[in-house]
Amino acid sequence: MLNVDFNKLASLINANVQGANATVNNAEDAKFDSSITVEASKIFAVCEFLKTNKEMPFNSLQCISGVDWVEFMEVCYMVAHFDTTAPREFILKVKVTDRVAPTVDSVVKVWAAANYQEREVYDMFGIKFNNHPDMRRILCPDDWQGWPLRKDYVAQKDYNGMAVYPDNKMNFEDREFIVRQDMIKKAQLAASSN
Amino acid sequence: MQSKWDIGEPEKPTINSETEQLKSELLTLNMGPQHPATHGVLRVEIWTDSEIVAHAIPHLGYLHRCMEKHAENLDYRGIIPFVDRLDYLASMSMEWGYVMAVEKMLGTEVPRRAELLRILTAELQRIASHLMAFGTYALDLGAFTPFLYAFEEREKILRLFEEVSGARLLYNYIWIGGVWNDWTDDQIARVSSFVDVMEQEAKKYHELVSLNKIFVERTSNVGVLTVEDCFTYGATGPVLRGSGYKWDLRKNKPYSLYSELEFDVPVGDGERGVVGDCWNRYIVRMREVVESIKIIRQVIDKLEPGPVMGKVPKIIKLPKGEVYVRSEAPRGEIGFHLVSEGNDSKTPYRLKVKSPCFTHTSMLPHMAPGQMVADFVASIGSIDIVLGEVDR
Repeated sequence: MLNVDFNKLASLINANVQGANATVNNAEDAKFDSSITVEASKIFAVCEFLKTNKEMPFNSLQCISGVDWVEFMEVCYMVAHFDTTAPREFILKVKVTDRVAPTVDSVVKVWAAANYQEREVYDMFGIKFNNHPDMRRILCPDDWQGWPLRKDYVAQKDYNGMAVYPDNKMNFEDREFIVRQDMIKKAQLAASSN
Repeated sequence: MQSKWDIGEPEKPTINSETEQLKSELLTLNMGPQHPATHGVLRVEIWTDSEIVAHAIPHLGYLHRCMEKHAENLDYRGIIPFVDRLDYLASMSMEWGYVMAVEKMLGTEVPRRAELLRILTAELQRIASHLMAFGTYALDLGAFTPFLYAFEEREKILRLFEEVSGARLLYNYIWIGGVWNDWTDDQIARVSSFVDVMEQEAKKYHELVSLNKIFVERTSNVGVLTVEDCFTYGATGPVLRGSGYKWDLRKNKPYSLYSELEFDVPVGDGERGVVGDCWNRYIVRMREVVESIKIIRQVIDKLEPGPVMGKVPKIIKLPKGEVYVRSEAPRGEIGFHLVSEGNDSKTPYRLKVKSPCFTHTSMLPHMAPGQMVADFVASIGSIDIVLGEVDR
């Protein structure tokens, strides 16, 4: 990441957004990227602060990525500042623990880029964004079932009369499917305990 | 906070009817998914008030190939061919972006010759990609000849790439730790003579198209995007530079050996039309071709014999952690968010691709209202999208 003093930024957020509870996740290795995690309920206020503050502004949202860690899901906002003299970028994260009906506040009103990016996260992880103007799937068909990038995803057997992953065409003994079976069991267990 | 970019469910636009009795209503027009002006399988639902576009809704996903899900089940080397297929007109740049993310986590040192060859291929690829953009853009606007000129030169680049990598479009050439194959002196000499020809050709295109009165009339003052629009939508690359903001990762956050090379960052200057319109985005690409030629000449001077592959373990296993690496591809900044879970895993836990074309497609609803339908076609062409990368 670039030109960001994480401790300073975290304390800035904590001082200006009540209850943001920003914590720095320091990378174990200097090669890797550190990030800041904030409370999911305060994400809109934090983003608004990041964009409008004078000390360390961020004028652009690069993308929103999701990671399913099974025990919880993470929404990662790649926030950047386009400035030729002092460019900045860092990863802002929120944790979502509810796997059944996860929701996070939308930041479309702060950065318009969030519109399509949030729709993609919804499409892939099933995380709904409150106050989003157009919360629909974006890459998968509207009537597709399940959230493909969750670790416990099992593709539906048929879609509008067409066979999805027909048995005679798949090699289910492949290594990757065995790996995925473990994940699926683990994630289903986490979901049922919620 | 009040935002003027708050799009989404639009208000029903009012209709300009001369008399109240005249029956008038919005017409819904489907553009695509198989439409020559959408540069691939993009469907845009357009609401028109006679010839004026009132609202445009892009429908994506016709080329969705679950690349990110596949990546979670493939080892790190096996992902490179999938990454190729994102932006199939600039595969070298895609590969390089991904490989840089893995190398950053792995801590690999890339030999100097390999870095220079990567710059060489990426800049040749940039020329090829911009030639494609130039040709198809003129085609969108009704001029067929430039397309043929552009393809003649592009073919020379593809032929060189085919010799070194074995494939015309999807190369699998840039590998983790270096590049697959070395270039011979003869091939380097051919690159050298190619850029001499290309420099003359670029001047020819400039005379033929850039300042052509019909072309300027069609593209200037059309689809204007301000710098603020670009920031809030996260636009990068030629779209941001066409709006007059001098930002290029190769200059502002130099990676590889770009800090050793001298080149300018062309921006839209409003020589025709206003800054941020289609003409300015177009001219940025054409000027970047000239800058790429400059870079290639410097790289050829710096090339010295040496290894092209660094030391990389046979089976790549990454420790727990994450990186977000972005690099300057011809269409904007391509970013890779690579997450590894550790535990001796041979596959990434998550690979997210930040696609510049996806971002730029989201700007279409912002550009469309108030345009003529034909101008909307010019707007789509000017952001130069490749649907393989939008849908992934």
